[in-house]
Amino acid sequence: MTDQLTGGSSTGAVDSPAPSRPSDNAPAGAAGPSGRTGPLARRIGQSLSPLLWVGPAVALIAVVVLWPVVVMVHTSIQHISPDGFVLGSAGGGNYGDLFSEPALKGVLIRTVIWTVAVVVVTMVLSLAAAQLFNQRFPGRRVARWALIMPWAASVMMTALIFRWSLNASSGVINVFLRDVGLLHRLGTNQADWLGRPTAALVWMMGVAVFVSLPFSTYALLAGLQTIPAELYEAARVDGAGTWRIYRSITLPLLRPAIIVATLINVINVFNSFPIIWEMTRGGPGYSTSTTTPFMFILKQSYIGESAAMSVLNFGLVIVVVLLFLRLTRWKEQMG
Amino acid sequence: MRRSLIGAAAVAAVGSLVLSGCGGSSGGGGGSSKGASGGAATLKLVVADYGTGPQNTSSKYWKGIISAFHTKNPSISVNVTAINWNDFDNQVQTLIQNHQYPDITEGDYFQNYAQEGLLYSAQDALSKPGNLLQAFKAQGSYKGTQYGMPFTTSSRTLFYNKKLFQQAGISSPPQTWADIKADAAKITKLGKVGYGLPLGPEEAQAETLLWFLGNNGGYQTSSGKWEINSPQNVQTMQFLQSLVKAGLTEPHPGTKNRTDLWQDFAAGKIGMINGSPALIPIMQKAGVLKTSDWASVSIPGKSGPLSTTLGVCDNVAAFKPNGHQAQIKKFLDFAYQDKYQLQFDKEYDLLPATTSAAKALSSDPIFAPFLKALPNARQYPSDTVWANVKSQLQHTVGTAITGNPKSVLDTLQQTAEKGA
Repeated sequence: MTDQLTGGSSTGAVDSPAPSRPSDNAPAGAAGPSGRTGPLARRIGQSLSPLLWVGPAVALIAVVVLWPVVVMVHTSIQHISPDGFVLGSAGGGNYGDLFSEPALKGVLIRTVIWTVAVVVVTMVLSLAAAQLFNQRFPGRRVARWALIMPWAASVMMTALIFRWSLNASSGVINVFLRDVGLLHRLGTNQADWLGRPTAALVWMMGVAVFVSLPFSTYALLAGLQTIPAELYEAARVDGAGTWRIYRSITLPLLRPAIIVATLINVINVFNSFPIIWEMTRGGPGYSTSTTTPFMFILKQSYIGESAAMSVLNFGLVIVVVLLFLRLTRWKEQMG
Repeated sequence: MRRSLIGAAAVAAVGSLVLSGCGGSSGGGGGSSKGASGGAATLKLVVADYGTGPQNTSSKYWKGIISAFHTKNPSISVNVTAINWNDFDNQVQTLIQNHQYPDITEGDYFQNYAQEGLLYSAQDALSKPGNLLQAFKAQGSYKGTQYGMPFTTSSRTLFYNKKLFQQAGISSPPQTWADIKADAAKITKLGKVGYGLPLGPEEAQAETLLWFLGNNGGYQTSSGKWEINSPQNVQTMQFLQSLVKAGLTEPHPGTKNRTDLWQDFAAGKIGMINGSPALIPIMQKAGVLKTSDWASVSIPGKSGPLSTTLGVCDNVAAFKPNGHQAQIKKFLDFAYQDKYQLQFDKEYDLLPATTSAAKALSSDPIFAPFLKALPNARQYPSDTVWANVKSQLQHTVGTAITGNPKSVLDTLQQTAEKGA
């Protein structure tokens, strides 16, 4: 791939001087300066020409990604009224306010638990599901389509459906739990899952896993399908058992897919907002908030402090992603 | 290849962050067109939705007014957006923070907008501002000028389920906190919720104030001093705590919203709940409770029924930044006609906000008692920091039930004293 590309461009470089040669035969007066600047301009042009191709993408990233980051950081050091008027610089005041929020510590701890638990469970389940969907069985096509559903449906809708299903006095899940004898009575504290912070958090993690599963499963399924069948055949000929084959062939060859899927999941789950917002609004108090809903609640009254929370959030994601890449030594894997 | 991947990963990380950061403001519409004063223009009207479903959504009510208005004033068009109460404050606040100003809002109104100079005064936005109910003038005023124009009003009473009271062998409606506790205990024994206590984010500020009033407390003293963490208020929260601990309310009141609990009351699952006339159509729609199955009485206080109740008015605010004063005035004069006031009140069982419309209703058997209670009703603080206090209170006051009431109220008091 790389060889072909450089080959292509180098022949281009060799070719290009040829048509320009006639310019050397131009009248003497003009030949002097143009003869010297010509190649220089051309060289500059050549070195700039990739910019033509990369430029739009760079501009897009600058406008859509980098500029908002600049605005976010700038906002976080301004004193802004709840109606969006800038009242002057706040210096580090917003950060001071943020770090003295009594709820912040809990929010950060919860965010870590939320991200780690959801991603780990998602990946483990996805590995199993991908293996299953890679087998031949009647109805596989339908089953694969069905797997898309939680992914295709709006996350907000899914969250709302779960909230209603968990209604303490008449939710379907509670009615079912009562019918199988796990719940003594409807409308009790026990049935009010979303009212108890810990139970609410566990249920919301369940919903987060539910909506993250399809993507991870498809990513791993795609990875599984790239593993050549001959390898499995050879292993079987050598007398390797199923578990051994899985550990020594499937998992190592699946590693790039696992890394990419995990990374994208970490980012998504860390920033997850609609599930928590629709199911508990981060409450009671802030006891089921992760950093993103917490930032949103702050925004209603304290825009600057909310921006400071965004900056913190942003820093955390970058640190987590870099740590993750370092830990998985992805360079060696992906080369 | 390698480098591009780490780049891509970084871009993906940044991109998804930024996208999620923008999510909150996606509700904003485009800015409205600027027109010369008095000329053609399109007004952007943002209203709270009082309806219980698509068949009686508020945008239907407003569209009726708009089309009648447009026939008479073909050069002015009005676009209406109805937002449900749960999201109204948040979405309007976001529009304003992003400087995508509406021309008119109807729903909650905050003094901050007047403080920032964003609003036309009632004088500038209406031909007859004197027709607005005087009782609500102070609440909509900033430094002596009225900016918040009441559009609809309501007062709160205690609704109770007569059927459940009968089954539980209770002969008369509650008058004191002790009555509420005793009656709720009897109803709980029937397997129903004794008292519905909505302290979730939707409207915790109303339920909290109604209880504070019962113990001679409130958010502010009559001289405008904040008293959220006063000893009476702490005592009130302790009483609520005892109510919840005894299992006499729905589970975890700090996470339950008014709309959901009103639905539960309408479904016959709750014995008592504080409500406004707007609860009536919800009961009619649910079809479980007949008119003879429920009644409403003055809200019980610690030692007797409240002599004042919470009077709530939802306000119209007219925004300056788009420069549509003449058009706004034309439209508001049209919309404030008595027939539209009465249509609104009939549709949603709420009370009028103009003197002339109130007169027209003064002999109505359902509305008259509520109207009579309005003039001496207590109202929310008219203070610019109220927006901050309210939003924090909505999210945290429920934790006073499970945690330490004093410290929760202390934190709110600090926010109030810090100022806007």
